[in-house]
Formats: sequence, C-alpha cells, structure tokens
Amino acid sequence: MNPLALVCIPIVVGLSLAIPRLRAHAARALVGTALLLSTLALAQVLLPAPELSLSGYARLDATSRLFLALINPIFLGISAYVASRVAATPALHRDLWRFVALALCFIGAANAAVLGNHLLVQWMALEVTTLVAAPLIVRPGEGRSRLASWHYLLFSSVGLALVLLGFSCLSRAMQAAGHEPTLFLDRLPAFAAVSASPWGEPGLALVILGLGTKLGLAPMYTWLPEAYAEAPPAVTALLGAVQFNAALVVLLRVIAVYRPGNAGLITAELMLMGLASMVVSAISIIATRNMKRLIAYAAINHAGVIAIGLAVGKGTTYGVLLYVISNAFIKAILFLTAGKIKAHYRTEDTREISGLIKDLPYSGVFLLVGTLALLGFPPFGSFFGELSILSALVSSGHLFVFAAFCVLITTTFIATGRTFFPMVWGMPKQVHVWQKQTFLTASPKIFFLVVLVILGLYIPPALSGLLEQVAASLEAEGS
Amino acid sequence: MSPLLIALLGALLIPLFVGTWRTSLLGLSAQGLLMAALAHRAAPLLATAHDWIALVDLGLIRGLAMPLALYVVQKARGARARNDVIPPNLFFWTLALGMGLAAFNFSEHLVSEPGEPQTLVAVAVAGILLGFLVLSGSSEPFSQMVGVLRIENSIVLLELSDQDHSAIGLELAMLAIFVATLGFFCWYLATLKEPAEPSLESAPDSSSL
Repeated sequence: MNPLALVCIPIVVGLSLAIPRLRAHAARALVGTALLLSTLALAQVLLPAPELSLSGYARLDATSRLFLALINPIFLGISAYVASRVAATPALHRDLWRFVALALCFIGAANAAVLGNHLLVQWMALEVTTLVAAPLIVRPGEGRSRLASWHYLLFSSVGLALVLLGFSCLSRAMQAAGHEPTLFLDRLPAFAAVSASPWGEPGLALVILGLGTKLGLAPMYTWLPEAYAEAPPAVTALLGAVQFNAALVVLLRVIAVYRPGNAGLITAELMLMGLASMVVSAISIIATRNMKRLIAYAAINHAGVIAIGLAVGKGTTYGVLLYVISNAFIKAILFLTAGKIKAHYRTEDTREISGLIKDLPYSGVFLLVGTLALLGFPPFGSFFGELSILSALVSSGHLFVFAAFCVLITTTFIATGRTFFPMVWGMPKQVHVWQKQTFLTASPKIFFLVVLVILGLYIPPALSGLLEQVAASLEAEGS
Repeated sequence: MSPLLIALLGALLIPLFVGTWRTSLLGLSAQGLLMAALAHRAAPLLATAHDWIALVDLGLIRGLAMPLALYVVQKARGARARNDVIPPNLFFWTLALGMGLAAFNFSEHLVSEPGEPQTLVAVAVAGILLGFLVLSGSSEPFSQMVGVLRIENSIVLLELSDQDHSAIGLELAMLAIFVATLGFFCWYLATLKEPAEPSLESAPDSSSL
C-alpha cells in the first residue's frame, strides 16, 4: 500500500467524526485506525520496498521507515490506553470524539513530517501537529492547562517561525551562489556548503535553533515542563513520544544534508544547546517535587543527551538512535503511569506518594522499570546510547564536554532516583481502597514495557539493519 | 529609501511607543497593507496565481482580517485601552531604536549593494528583532500575539524580495495554516481569562484522558 495512506487515512477518519452520528464510534475508530497504521508502518520495515519518491514531496527511505515504525505503534499503545480509560470511566465518553478527531489528525501530520522530502512540507506538517495538539492540552475547568496550552502554541510558533526564517536564508544563500533555490531534500546536498554566502550560516543556525525549540532544548524550553505537566497523560505521551520524534526527523534530515559542509557550526550549536539543556534540567529535577514536571525535566535532559550525541556525529549515531527509540517508550510509559498515579492519589506531589508497589502494583512496576531505563541502567537502550556518546566524546577530544556530561548525568541520576525510588518502595502513607487495576487497562503500558526490555536485550536484524542505514546517512562523508 | 519602506518602518516603530492595543492592531494592519502595496508594485499586472495569493495573504488576511478579528475579540472581552507591548521605559525604547540601527548595519553585511533590496532586508530584520523585543518584554497574551505576528509579517516581508516562489499548493497550504493559527490566537485571547468550566474530573477514577 502507498505509504501516503499513513497520512491520509487518519486525517480522513479524524475529519469524518465531524458527522454527529459517527461520534458514538470514536473509540473504535481510534483503536482501529491506530492498529491499521501500526500494521502499515511495520510492513514498511519488514517488507522493505525499494526507495520511493512520492510525487517528489515524500520519500520512503531508512529514516522514514524507522520513525514510522516507532511512532505508529506508540500511537497504538496510547490509543489503547485512551480506549481503556473511557471503558472504565464512561463520563469521559462525552468529549472523546473531539480527542479522537484531533489525535488522528495529529498522527497523520506527524507521519507527513516523517515522510516529507521537502523542508517546507515537513515544516507545515510540524505546524499542523502543533495546532491540533494545542487544544488537546486544555483540560476542561483548569485554567492553568489553558495557559500552558497557550505557552506551548506561542513557543512552537516562535520556534517554527525561526525555522521558516532559516529556510528563507538558506534559499537566498543558494541564490547568492548562483543556484536555483530548492528545499527538496534529495536535491539539497549539492548546495550543502552554506558558508559561501553571508545568508547561509545564520540560516542554518536559525533552523537548528527553531527545531531545538520544538524538541524542548534550551534556551527555549520553558513551554515543555508546563505543557507536559498540565496536559492529560495521553496527550503528554503524544507530545513526548510522537511529536518529539517527528521534529527529530526534520532535524536529522537537516543534519544529513548540511553536516558534510558545515560540521563545525552544527557540532558547536547542538553541543551548546545539549549541554545547556542538561544543566537546566538537572537543576530543575533537584528543585521540583511535582511528579509530571520531574519526568518532563528528565525529557529535556534526554533531548540534551540526543543533541550532544548528534553533535559528536561519527561513531555515536547508532547508539543515539537506539537511545531515541528507548526514550520514546520510556516517556510513553512514565507519562501514562504518572496519569494513573495522579488519578488515584489526587496529587502530583512526590512526597505524598509512597509504597506504590503495594498500593498499585502495576503502576509501581511501570514506574520502577521506567525510572531504571530513564536513568540509563543496563540493559536498556538508554544505557548503550549514553555509553556510545561518552566513548565518542573522549575519542573525538571533547574532554570538557565529556566531564560536564558525566557530572550532569550523575546529578540527574541521584536527583531522580532519590525522588522516585521512595515512591515505589516506601511505606504507604495512607490507607486507600482502590478500584482494582485490570490487566486490560494496564496492557498498553505492558506493551511499551515489553518492547523496551526486548530492545535492550535483543535488536531484531531488520531493526538493526535499519539503524545502520540511518546512521550511515547521518555520518556521511565529512561528518 | 522608498516611501513605502519608510512607512513600513514607521508602522513597526510607532506602536511600540504608543501604548494602546488599538495602535498595535493598527500597526499590524498597516504592515499587511504596505506589504501588499509592495507586492503589487512588484507585479502590478497580477498575471500569476502567485501574485493573487500574495495579495490575498498580505492585503486581505494580514492587513484587514487579522487585525479586525483581534479587534473584535479585544472589544468583546472589554480589554483596557492601555496596553504596552514593551515596558514603557527609556531602557526598552533605547533597545528598540538600537535594534532598528543594528538591523540596518546587519543588512549591509547580507546585501552588499546599497539600494531598495538592502533597505527591504533591513526593515524585515528590524521587524524580526522588534518582534522578539515585544515577546521578551511582555507576559500578556495579547502582547505576545502581537510579537509573534510581527515576526511572521517580517519573515513574509523578507520573502517578498525573494524571486523564487514555492508551488501554488504549498503557498495555499501555508496561507491556510496562518489562518488557522490566527483562529487559535483569537480563541486563546477570548478564553484565557474565562471562569472555570464544569469538569469531567468529578468521576471517581478519572482526571482526564
């Protein structure tokens, strides 16, 4: 099937919910579409077709295959979580169709960003994910969530405006060098050396800064903890595990095109943003007592690690990609689990939550394993990713960055562990009578957990081959 | 320096020193209409679909519909007349003027030959920098929206001097995205200070999805 179905099907199904009599089937439409999308996305990996160029504006290569196969199953897990929540709490059914319509448009646009072969198409797809995610962040009756949603839209608009400005500058750099300007990714490598024109380097720097804003990297990261903390858990998981990766694909495309001619600029900017993100996240993790905010700051920390890994380039990319994959599952598990914990304890204050393993065994295990993966324990992908980045930092002579990375990772490790482990192992502070957790409601998180653990122990050859191809494209000549 | 660009620079600077929201909207409207005049001057025959899209985008949407929509929302929510998009003090005023000068210096680096293209780039860069100044100095949603819209208008101005055009479909899609963004801005402006709505969260085992 044409991979553009991954874009069209969810958008058509989402828009069809505008018809009132179809709204009653919203939950089934969500899970059914997500299941179809996952099957299609995995088929692109397991049954590899030759590289396709879809009308020139889309392409199916190793990078798009990898990320389609990552974000669509995660979307399926989130959809199953939402369906199980609605089944357990009929009151949520009333506004479900609105969530489903927006979420399906969101995944369609995210798939478009991944499949895009034109920078402007990818930019528009990211903008659409932002516009449909903004109202999803708003929780009825909670003014703070509306403000968080506004800040999310504001920062995203500014970040994407910077990206657009960067594209405009890069276009002028091509014109100044006497070339016909283009934003088609497969034609761009011929004009990758941007330093010949005064427009080139500022343009490239703006594109990276703007995409960094979408990824939650410093300096423009403040929207992230606020939006992640205030949004409903399913929406936070969508933002952290799906939108993050869609934006990352655009950054990977830019790096693949421009690194050979501009390695110095890309390395310096990504390393600076990565280190700054790790610093602010480490300080904030120490200071916060809010469970969801803590996970959000850890997400900023992870974005910083990924930025540093991409900055180093050669030798780290495979590890960074592994880190990205495990990071997506970790965020999905932790944010969905945080939602469950908050719904039961009616608080997000980590000091008020204790003895989870006795109180909520499923959530206790999810939080425990998710935290271990978050902290980079073996055998998870995050461990191998961090190890490969540390090794590459030493071999490439970035010793100051290596030292700073070690200090910041250790600080984050201690600060996160001292908050989360007592929540899991401590004595329950109050006697609660809980509605029993069923296997069905826990199954989406079990799915994420199983994938996370399996990927830590064994990488299937199809996936490993894909990772190698993506790494090779990012480490092409000159990087 | 052409009169249109002088007027555009005025439309960028004056609303910073006159602290009312109506002046801010007037400034945005003037930016859109002046950019439409610049686009029309470059292609007076309106011979291509691109020329028409540019005219609709700049004149109709940015020059008229956008300020009007924000005006209606501001009126409906009973916004106070006074609204400083930057803090009204000498420091910020000096910064604003300094940014204008810096933009003109920077444009000499970007476009080596003096003339209208260089001035257009200078005005566009000034607009982007002043947009960031507005964003950095304001915490009110309305002022933040004005800051973002100033930046977006200035990027469009920069693209006006670019002879290369995207495919019509892409231009229409970008226009649609801008209109949708504007719709969201109006929605936030209208609802950010609303009283709490009834919640789904009274259900025992639920906060939300």
